[in-house]
Amino acid sequence: MADALDGIRVIEFAYGMAGPWIGRFMAYCGAEVIRVETKKRPDVTRQYIPPWAPEMAMQSQLSPWLTDWNAGKRCIALDLTQPKAVELAKRIAARCDVVVENYSTGVIDKLGLGYSQLKQAKPDIVMLSTTGYGDSGPGARYVTWGPNVEVLSGLSTLSGFPERGCTVTQYAYPDAVGALHGLFAVMCALDYRLRTGEGQYINLSQYEATVGVIGHVMMEYLANGREPQRRGNRSLHAAPHGCYRCQGDDRWCVITVRSEAEWECFCRVVSRPDWTADPRFATLSARLKHAEELDRLIEEWTASRTDYEVMAALQEAGIAAGVVQNVEDQVRRDRQLAARGFFEEIEHVKKGKVMATGIPLGLTGTPGHTGRAGAAMGQDNEYVFGEVLGMTPEEIQNCIEAGAIETADEQ
Amino acid sequence: MTPAAALSGRRVLELADEKGLYCGKLLADMGADVIKIEPPGGDATRDIPPFWHDTPHPDHSLFFLYMNTSKRGVTLDITRPEGQVLFKQLAQTAHIIIETFEPGYLDGLGLGYRTLQEQNPGLVFTSITGFGQTGPYKSFKSSDLVANALAGTMYITGEADDPPVVLAGAQANMMASTCAAASSMIALFRSTVSGKGQQVDISVEETNVSASHVCGVGRWLDDRFIPRRMGAALLACTPSGTYPCKDGLVYLIVNRVLHWKALAQWIHEVTGNEIVLDPMFEGPSANRQPNRDLLDVYVSELTSRFTVAEMYHEGQRRHLAVTPVNTAAAVVADPHLAARNYFLAVEHPEMGSLRYPGAPYRHTETPWAISRPAPRVGEHNEEIYCGELGLAQQTLRGFVERGVI
Repeated sequence: MADALDGIRVIEFAYGMAGPWIGRFMAYCGAEVIRVETKKRPDVTRQYIPPWAPEMAMQSQLSPWLTDWNAGKRCIALDLTQPKAVELAKRIAARCDVVVENYSTGVIDKLGLGYSQLKQAKPDIVMLSTTGYGDSGPGARYVTWGPNVEVLSGLSTLSGFPERGCTVTQYAYPDAVGALHGLFAVMCALDYRLRTGEGQYINLSQYEATVGVIGHVMMEYLANGREPQRRGNRSLHAAPHGCYRCQGDDRWCVITVRSEAEWECFCRVVSRPDWTADPRFATLSARLKHAEELDRLIEEWTASRTDYEVMAALQEAGIAAGVVQNVEDQVRRDRQLAARGFFEEIEHVKKGKVMATGIPLGLTGTPGHTGRAGAAMGQDNEYVFGEVLGMTPEEIQNCIEAGAIETADEQ
Repeated sequence: MTPAAALSGRRVLELADEKGLYCGKLLADMGADVIKIEPPGGDATRDIPPFWHDTPHPDHSLFFLYMNTSKRGVTLDITRPEGQVLFKQLAQTAHIIIETFEPGYLDGLGLGYRTLQEQNPGLVFTSITGFGQTGPYKSFKSSDLVANALAGTMYITGEADDPPVVLAGAQANMMASTCAAASSMIALFRSTVSGKGQQVDISVEETNVSASHVCGVGRWLDDRFIPRRMGAALLACTPSGTYPCKDGLVYLIVNRVLHWKALAQWIHEVTGNEIVLDPMFEGPSANRQPNRDLLDVYVSELTSRFTVAEMYHEGQRRHLAVTPVNTAAAVVADPHLAARNYFLAVEHPEMGSLRYPGAPYRHTETPWAISRPAPRVGEHNEEIYCGELGLAQQTLRGFVERGVI
């Protein structure tokens, strides 16, 4: 069956997650994604010491993040400090539709692979650069990782409980925000190219994209000049609306009640029909006013039950409730993710079968799939230089001897 | 004729609640003609507080104003036969439909993907629901909070001793919408090439499991540990977290061997600390992990000597990943964003000039733009029903009186 992006080719100069995750999605949809790496500056995913066997020392193919960010790609190794390597990269780009890069601002241009140079090689190329701050302004060359962008954007100060100063995720949320906005931006440019024949350059600032996903929260300051209040898990227009302790260690269930009809159902489920007539809780405004008290009473009910029991009882009555799942719960106890086959089993070059987080694009006509995981740096040199560029084995060998192409060290 | 916008000439119908509004906005701000279809009298999301100048009104919800930029708006009761006829006419002109009803609802009205694609085989029909169109939870009730809970994002956000907590701004919905926009464009690409559209089945839960994959299944199976909440620090990076300055907090994270050396040197320079230079702390983060608490004390001794601005710019000058912990006010006042003209003003017929967050990405040929403020209730009824579908004025008035429009 055909995939959605069949026939599209991408070249990627990218480290970490924010850039590479874009290519991961495109490869999943059938694009051929060529990932350029160098042994002189190995990516974080190539510097993995397995916690389960530290004596193995640094393993460049075993990182689970290598699977998450780079599965399904063709991996080549080029020393881009060498003019010959830059020329080869340019020749590959000339056969590509899309370039994705997330080197520090200015680096790709200095290497001779900036948009103006690549446009000469391929006039209708679509190129995306993604960095923390974007390519202009006083912060253009500042260093950031995901959590830096989280605090910079205001997200951390606006999130969490009122008594806390700052709430940060453990999963570098802005990396995901930046990658998905980048994927969308590239697809818009490809749509435009499909209809006009014109390519273009896109520059993405992860800082700005992250402010974008809290734009509606920012509006309170922009329109009314007021700092938005931190609300924890509460809502301004629904109650109960919170996270309640259940039986066991660090087990919780969230509940949201959004209408008076739901509130009546809820009271039946927790065997407190009297609450519907209680002046503290009879109306939404009363419940919002007495939220603290209400939450305490609800927690008395949840604390003696398991999280999955609470969720089942409430969902059965048509109330939105959900267990605060950890990753093990998602794999072993989430019947929905299991039924939809969300987690993917992938063939790994070294480990046999591995399981990876699914790609949630939901394309029912062209579902897509993940190719091979765990490729070594340079594992696809032969294919890319031989078949894509049509170089002879002798030409490739010369480039290896000159140090422009780096050999794959392990297979 | 070269269109000035990337999605110029692309038509989108949006029948969406909080789960899909940002998806429509992403498409609209890139130039698609997004027609927002609300029930007669206006959508419930118009009641979401806070309001402009604290004046509750269907056009004053700041949430609504932000989420619906660049869209046109009509009202329509799609449960009535006359409304369904009009909807089908509009659907024939659409490249993409975004809907967030529970699975099967539109099928029940005879307006599902199967029916609509008969007249419009290239149609991309994007459904965003809590759990997806299939599976045992497909009819479960969801919300942003519920999606964050099941998706695992909550479990690993906040302080170890606090309950799990969600991010501001309903991020589960924002992630689902962003993913839906990207996926819709991938499906549209396929449709343009092959003539064949498809249904895009977005699960809010799945998009957020995916967004938090850094702490996800691959790592858990490989590293044999379940990530938990640990405040502002990251397990894989020592030191990392927020540190006190004279006038607020900075965030600092050490992620590279050289970064530690530069930081240790700086601590030594400023505080005279000798121990911090000990080679036992050098190398990958794992070497420093057992001494996280001690190193946090050393870092705090450095940061507390400076203001946030001093620490930020001097830290960055030394190539350290230091950033201020910004309030909304600080973001709006940030000279970096000002230099890039990030925030922009949009004229609203009633409220005058309002400032909005700007472009999340910058295209050289087809710039992102807010082409109009969010529509008022039924603002484009006449323009679309009479001007485009050829409905007589009198018929429109009749429909309005009978509550169809």
